[in-house]
Amino acid sequence: MNPRSFILTLLVISAWAGGEPLPAAVVASAEFNQKIRPILEEYCYDCHGGGENRGGVALDAFNSTTNFDGSRDVWWRVLKNLRANLMPPAKRKSRPTPEQKELIAQWIKSSVFEADPLNPDPGRVTLRRLNRVEYQNTIRDLTGVDFDALGVFPPDDTGHGFDNIGDVLTLSPMLLEKYLVAAEKIIGQAVPTESRVVPEQVVAGSQFRTGGQSKDTYSGPQSLSYYEPAFVTNIFHAAQAGQYQLDVDLMVNEKYVDDVFDYNKCRFSFRVDGKELLAREFSWEGGKPYHFSYNQNWAAGDHQLDFELRPLTPGAAQTRTLSLQITAVTVRGPMAKESGVRPKNYAQFFPREVPAPAAARRQYARELLGDFARRAFRRPVDSDTTNRLAKLAESIYDQPGKTFEAGVAEAMVAVLASPRFIFREENAEPAGGQPYALVDEYALASRLSYFLWSSMPDEELFQLAAAGRLRENLSAQLARMIADKRADALEKNFVGQWLQARDIETIPIDARSVLAREQKFDPERDALRQRFRELNDKPDDTLTPAEKTELADVRAKFFKARQGQPAADLTPDLRRAMRQETEGVFSYILREDRSLLELLDSDYTFANERLARFYGIPDVFGSEMRRVTLPPDSPRGGILTEGTVLAVTSNPTRTSPVKRGVFILDNILGIPPLPPPPNIPPLEDAIKNVDGHAPTLRETLAVHRENPLCASCHDQMDPPGLALENFNALGKWRDQEFNQPIDAAGRLVTGESFSNIRELKQVLVKNHAEDFYRTLTQKLLTYALGRGLDYYDVETVDQIVARIEKSGGRPSALLAGIVESAPFQKARVRSEATATAGDNADEKFAKEKL
Amino acid sequence: MKTKSATDQDLAAQRRASFTRRHFLRGLGACIALPAFESLLPTKLLAAGAPEGGLATTATGAPLRTAFVYFPNGAIPGAWWPAAEGADFQLSRTLQPLAPAQKQIQVIGGLDHLNAMPGADGGGDHARANGTFLTGVRMKKSATDIHAGISIDQAIARQVGHLTRFPSLELTCDAGRNTGACDSGYSCAYQYNLAWSSPNTPMTPEANPRQVFERLFGAGAPGERVANARRRRQEEGSILDFVMQDARSMQHRLGGRDQDKLDQYLTGIRELEGRIQKAEQLGEAKDPMVETPPGLPADYAQHIHLMYDIMLLAFQTDSTRIATMLLAHDGSNRSFADIGIPEGHHDLSHHQGNADKIEKITEIDLWYVQQFGKFLEKMSATQDVDGNSLLHNSMIVYGGGNADGNRHTHVNLPVVLAGGGGGTITPGRFVKHGGKPASNLFLSLADRMGVKNLERFGDSTGRLANI
Repeated sequence: MNPRSFILTLLVISAWAGGEPLPAAVVASAEFNQKIRPILEEYCYDCHGGGENRGGVALDAFNSTTNFDGSRDVWWRVLKNLRANLMPPAKRKSRPTPEQKELIAQWIKSSVFEADPLNPDPGRVTLRRLNRVEYQNTIRDLTGVDFDALGVFPPDDTGHGFDNIGDVLTLSPMLLEKYLVAAEKIIGQAVPTESRVVPEQVVAGSQFRTGGQSKDTYSGPQSLSYYEPAFVTNIFHAAQAGQYQLDVDLMVNEKYVDDVFDYNKCRFSFRVDGKELLAREFSWEGGKPYHFSYNQNWAAGDHQLDFELRPLTPGAAQTRTLSLQITAVTVRGPMAKESGVRPKNYAQFFPREVPAPAAARRQYARELLGDFARRAFRRPVDSDTTNRLAKLAESIYDQPGKTFEAGVAEAMVAVLASPRFIFREENAEPAGGQPYALVDEYALASRLSYFLWSSMPDEELFQLAAAGRLRENLSAQLARMIADKRADALEKNFVGQWLQARDIETIPIDARSVLAREQKFDPERDALRQRFRELNDKPDDTLTPAEKTELADVRAKFFKARQGQPAADLTPDLRRAMRQETEGVFSYILREDRSLLELLDSDYTFANERLARFYGIPDVFGSEMRRVTLPPDSPRGGILTEGTVLAVTSNPTRTSPVKRGVFILDNILGIPPLPPPPNIPPLEDAIKNVDGHAPTLRETLAVHRENPLCASCHDQMDPPGLALENFNALGKWRDQEFNQPIDAAGRLVTGESFSNIRELKQVLVKNHAEDFYRTLTQKLLTYALGRGLDYYDVETVDQIVARIEKSGGRPSALLAGIVESAPFQKARVRSEATATAGDNADEKFAKEKL
Repeated sequence: MKTKSATDQDLAAQRRASFTRRHFLRGLGACIALPAFESLLPTKLLAAGAPEGGLATTATGAPLRTAFVYFPNGAIPGAWWPAAEGADFQLSRTLQPLAPAQKQIQVIGGLDHLNAMPGADGGGDHARANGTFLTGVRMKKSATDIHAGISIDQAIARQVGHLTRFPSLELTCDAGRNTGACDSGYSCAYQYNLAWSSPNTPMTPEANPRQVFERLFGAGAPGERVANARRRRQEEGSILDFVMQDARSMQHRLGGRDQDKLDQYLTGIRELEGRIQKAEQLGEAKDPMVETPPGLPADYAQHIHLMYDIMLLAFQTDSTRIATMLLAHDGSNRSFADIGIPEGHHDLSHHQGNADKIEKITEIDLWYVQQFGKFLEKMSATQDVDGNSLLHNSMIVYGGGNADGNRHTHVNLPVVLAGGGGGTITPGRFVKHGGKPASNLFLSLADRMGVKNLERFGDSTGRLANI
């Protein structure tokens, strides 16, 4: 927003009011007639007035007596279309001046939306359930357990393109049950239930050596071939004498080869201090694990553990690379109770010795559980909660045979199953009679951490919130949090959804069909293919010997031809590299605070050897992703030409210029086209042939646009989508399709022409930077707030966009703008009356929204 | 000496997974081959024998089950519909795989979902087809403010759900989820859920065979599950008390929509408590003594088979009498490369009269019916407590909310009703009803399930006669 014109508007209003405040509606009407209506008359009424109501909009329906409250959605559309230069249409010669446009924008905001720039309406967020990503990360930070929430919980529903929208995050009985099971599993894994356990040492397979102890630090399994004799040994030092248990874990491995067997056998033995405990023949049984357990009464000192393998079948064919894997030997002991040691993680959950007296134990349980609940609920807990938890723990540890630790662990399960963990409850500061109040600092800490980390606040945030000093340290905390590794979540979850980069790992693309469209027609190969199909479709027993030979011959030719083809398939490693490219570019711009416009066009990207080869970028070696400066003639650089975007906007066998166009309009320009009409008129066979060849997508779409109903939207979507036609559905560059050269030229609905993708990128950077800032702000704000944006958020978005522009397009301005904004900082206040009456305030707001 | 390569490990893991998968299927197959299943049924039910006020029970005292299976994107009408009505009808090309079960299926023509038509809502036929299918209502067009209606399976479950350990079972074979917005301004919730327990609470379906199996029968190896389930139940009691109190006090602090969320939480807690009570009355779930199935199979056909197997097992063990299964959401653009159709299903379904595309879609329709046919064969080969087949004692609707995927029509929906309803319906026919709400059929099924006081459902205009 331009502050000067805002002041101007205020002056205009107060001039009319003669210093006396007038009812808002009167002011709005008066200003409308004086200032706004003449502009609308000149530029809009041709189509939206005097009996015309294109698109169902008649702007002359509004006059001095109109109450604008009931027409916010219409004016919101007017504002969007005006700003995006969609209205008046580009082809019209007479267009409003920038000043006139700004005047209308300001009038809509101040009079129709009644927005107060100094105190914008923060809106209302519905209580948010942790989505599965947030759950997984929160568990990791709370307990240290790596819980596979993505594998266990069902996908979260999305709204506005994101999976963290409070309204849509529902909770079915099935999911609740899963939360309970998960809580038990996580606590079972994290929290020890004994204060002492038998000491345990794992000797990895690789620590058994042929001669002496090596300095090699590799610690993992070791495989011994069936085909060569081997003897490996390890000296185990037992610090104390006593009863020990040795667990030996082995596995038989093989390299699988179709229809080929391997009849080799070996004799394998395990000796302790020279005494043979295991001696057994192993044969071909790939993938089978073995477990053996032995008790030993050991004196203190060194003990020698040996494995020996002897091949038994020197003559057998060695086809499957059979091997015996020594996974590990686990030495447990001494078994005597007094030799027990602290279990792993013990101090993390139980920092002190468990006291003996009942009262002291109860107090210790209260301490432990109060602190755990505070972190899990992300705010201080009252003594009632702590007491109930301690009582729950006591009801367990008072049972015979149950430990104190087991009782506390059980209460921790209850904490993780509580709605206070699963939902993010927020409190507000006292409102002092205002309609909006600041959320309290604990809520702010969670808003920050779930926005930037998709996880719970860390101890530093908690401490600042407890001291009431988080708000005053907001910018320092923002910088710290962005620099933290956990901020990767923003790339994975925000960018992954905004640019749909997450989908690249699973989107089905059939490389063969895609590439077939670019293949030069070869009559010889086509004849071969026809013949192959004919023969292959016949049942085997009806083939003549001559046909059989021919089939084998044709198949061999095909196989050979296929081998000659360049590998272009979207293999898992390539897909992963593409996702990492999209995340990496965003992360780089964010963390280096570079211009956001580099997302649209840049002379670099992120790639490893595999992706660089795919893109045709030379001299990149190795598997790690890094910043790569692009060759001067490269069409890459910027999100539009990243593999992720190009592939996820394609159909399985071909590109979809329509989907790509919609992607650009929605995610870059912020003007998503209307959804397709319910009854799509059929194209039928009108486009079977164009000038004697199969039609290209451009030709198909051109026929499509001849229908005016289709044209109204496809004129917007098709040109930017067709600009990407040089990239096939795999995201690879191509010059032709169906033997027709690619024509990527076009004209944006806002009037600018371009001849290829590079020019389109330049048009976007030069003419649409503000649109892009606004779009990105809207998307990121939606993600940060966990709710869809409404008309009352226009003011907030404008303020953030102005801040980004002032900074020269810096991500730091965007992020600071969001976390300092009213909707991020505040909440609507529920009055006492409405709170008890079931929240009429919400209904009122809902009605206002229309 | 060399260390094991990563590829070796991957291969071994894959082989183990496929071994387990085979093992599960084989195990289940063996289970089905048994002559009788008393061992798997709750003893109380057998002892009771007689119908409990006719609630989800056949005249012979066996459980009566209802299931709804959804396939996406409509079906090519010319290949779907049999040529002529009647008991001696000829199966159409698409329905040919149902031939072995022809005497136990009823092809139902002339059912509509007018609330899935665009009306004033414009685009979004896939979301509407999916969301309206079992609810019969017009959904609110919104990305976040979701509002559908209670679905028929849940309306039935409300009254018969207390009879079994699980009031209902929701399954899906659509495991993946793309990012971004769904269909034309509709929330994704409409497209990925069939069952709704209230207008704003979808019953999220489970996609992972292992997870759903363990939920039904407990975790652990065959033979260990009963003990595992009992131990869990004992531990859960005190935890449920604690969280219930938390939820209640939290609910007091919240308003409006936030309270709805807490309601969803409390509903879940009550269901768990109900199950604990049921376990106390009826004993723990019987262990089906088959291997626990693996997690998500990569292969779609495998996935579908496993989920059908589990539905069968849930019915056979009387773990539930109500199930829904979403094979894929309407609008699914799945590629069927395995059967030589690499294009996307949805993309193809807008065939615009192209014969090649119509042929491919017909093949996909047929493929889905083949999988259903295999399920029906198993249901038919499984004997129920009363000596009839499981299929005889079931009512299984196989259908979709889009009729012609090319034009997004929602009249004359493709619907097959399989099973004998315990002898209350007359299968083996093709019957045309000439433009009745699909909700009418649902009411007729609810009646047979013994549901009382359900005068109307969705956009129903009455009961569907002659089924």
